[in-house]
Amino acid sequence: MHWDTVYKNLDYLLIGAYPQGPLGGLAMTVILAVGGIFGAFWLGLGCGLMRISKRRRLRWPAMFFIEIIRGTPLLMVVFWFYFLAPVVFGHTLPEAESALIALIVFTSAYIAEIVRAGVEALPKGQMEAARGSGLSHVQAMIFIILPQALFNMIPSFVNQFVSLTKDTSLAFIIGVNELTKAATQVNNRTLTAPTEIFITIALLYFVICYCLTEFSRYLERRINRYQARGR
Amino acid sequence: MRIAVRFTVLACLLTLFAAIPALAGKLEDIKARGALVAGVKDSQRPFGYVDEKSNQIVGFEIDLMQALAERLGVKLELKPVTSSTRIPMLTQGAVDIVAATMTHKKEREDQVDFSITYFMTGQKLLVKKDGGIKSVADLAGKKVGSVKGSTSEQNVKKAQPDTTVISFETYPEAFLALKQGKVQAMTTDESILVGVKNSDDKPEAWDIVGEYISPEPYGLGVAENDSKFRDFVNLALMDMWTKGEYQKIYDKWFGKDTKDYIPLTWKMELWP
Amino acid sequence: MAYQFDFGQVVSGEYGQWLLSGLDVTLRISGIAIVLSLALGTLVAVLRLSKVRPLVWLAASFTEFFRNTPLLVQIFFWYFGSYSVLPDAVNEWLYARDFEFACGVIALTVYTAAFIAEEIRSGIFSIPKNQLEASRACGLSFLQAMAYVILPQAFRVIIPPLISQFLNLIKNSSLVMTIGVMDLTYMARQIEAHTFHGFEAFTVSTLMYLTISLIVSFSVNLYNRYVLHVRSR
Repeated sequence: MHWDTVYKNLDYLLIGAYPQGPLGGLAMTVILAVGGIFGAFWLGLGCGLMRISKRRRLRWPAMFFIEIIRGTPLLMVVFWFYFLAPVVFGHTLPEAESALIALIVFTSAYIAEIVRAGVEALPKGQMEAARGSGLSHVQAMIFIILPQALFNMIPSFVNQFVSLTKDTSLAFIIGVNELTKAATQVNNRTLTAPTEIFITIALLYFVICYCLTEFSRYLERRINRYQARGR
Repeated sequence: MRIAVRFTVLACLLTLFAAIPALAGKLEDIKARGALVAGVKDSQRPFGYVDEKSNQIVGFEIDLMQALAERLGVKLELKPVTSSTRIPMLTQGAVDIVAATMTHKKEREDQVDFSITYFMTGQKLLVKKDGGIKSVADLAGKKVGSVKGSTSEQNVKKAQPDTTVISFETYPEAFLALKQGKVQAMTTDESILVGVKNSDDKPEAWDIVGEYISPEPYGLGVAENDSKFRDFVNLALMDMWTKGEYQKIYDKWFGKDTKDYIPLTWKMELWP
Repeated sequence: MAYQFDFGQVVSGEYGQWLLSGLDVTLRISGIAIVLSLALGTLVAVLRLSKVRPLVWLAASFTEFFRNTPLLVQIFFWYFGSYSVLPDAVNEWLYARDFEFACGVIALTVYTAAFIAEEIRSGIFSIPKNQLEASRACGLSFLQAMAYVILPQAFRVIIPPLISQFLNLIKNSSLVMTIGVMDLTYMARQIEAHTFHGFEAFTVSTLMYLTISLIVSFSVNLYNRYVLHVRSR
């Protein structure tokens, strides 16, 4: 085994060529994941609310978007934004941004479904009572429904964040210098330790994702207990 | 929360504006920007690869680009590309120029323009020494490793239809597959094979065999229909050749004292 | 940039054939992996519910590890990393065959099995505990009780989430192109490299994936409505 290869290149795997060069490796993975979940939350929230709207001209585009994205492999979405968006829009995007946008668009379709499920899971009486006390539909949504629904959805969001973190590895295919790309670069240069390198980065991903998964389970337990108390 | 939303919108808008290409020629673009963005290989010894000590991309093509950037009076910015991403990135304007072991092929002329030849090589096979494969003819029924979007992939299929071509993202991956016995040969330009072979712990275990399957003249890829920029690049290359600067860079990466020794046997086309 | 659309070139002739053969590989690799991952996933779920400590621990770490690492990294691991783990004779035997395809199947199977195991486990939890106790009391062994009483009931509830896992598997199968399996995505990229008409190739292959997905999710909706009597949407 050649664990020394991993050890020698560990700094490259973690932060890339930083600070002499561009940031890369695990740091880039984290940036993509955090930026991705932030963007996907807002886009997904908007899309999810449109999806449950009573107006057709809001509901149908959202439904169309969600079904198309959920029926397409992420890799295809990444390619679409990277190679083909410029054909449509006439200008280019740098690969990290283009990967980030692809991840945001892809994840937002799943977030939208979480939002829909979360809102629909609330008792109908909540909305009726809010409207009855004089709030408009939008006000009721913002002040009564969403705060409760979003709170209940937190574990699902964290789970989606775990998926997203794993999905950032696909950015490698269009050349974004994140963890998987850094690993293949090191592997391509050394050619002696593929097993060790891939085990190492698998463990790095695992540590992040497992901690998040456990966190989500903890939150779920807390929320369940909180709701049981309220009853 | 509101500030966060505003910030996101602003960031989106900025990205959009930054991405709209200016209508002026490339030459003005580059000078205004103060940087030449070059698409280079990042795992292709000795053309372009990540140096173990400095973690920076270095190599023959990088030095060539550095010399070009100096002539433009701007700094050099590198963007890693692969064989399958280099042409799309160039046509979209993500890079100004591609120096990534790209063969000047007729079919590619529809998408991009090429400079004069800056490196001359030909396609060969890399095999295990004494493995019984001596030429393309011996590849019948065997698996050959190559790279997606490369000319080698298409040429070998034409030269020996009875072979299975497995295509990878990069050449070292193809070599790793060869080392592990997943393919019986890998094929690409001799210059790349030399670099790949020498990156192994035991270079003597490998042989580069066969006649040239095809000639592979490398050209720098530039955007279609921008003759001012292309002329500048061509004249710069010729200037480097006549001043001996090209030969110096060549010696640094392919000279007698290097691991990747390839004698310089061709001459650059010099316009009178 | 002026871009000439040319769908004719992509859907007919040689390139059309390429896409079809890619679709064939995608369907085959997914089909095999679906069957295997269902088997492996069920096994892992049952092990995890057994009373034998080491087995429970083994099954739990299997699911946690493979669920929490990217599929792409797993594919690379199986393809490039299995070399130094396996004996040379086994490697030689494997490489003489369609190793890329086999690796793709293994990676997809193991990854999806970890998710399936979780779905099945929560399905089994949804069956009241006294069912198991009652069947044990009737003289059935743990495995018999699982096989004849618990699993048949659990599967009825599990089928919709299970199918959405299968759907994920089909979509995830696009990643095997990184190790040279000539699936639908691989072919789309090949066409892009040959013709530079990537737009059309990607459109057609995206539509193919979409068609598969929509057919599958439509049948899940039918199942929900007519078997589980859940009104969807």
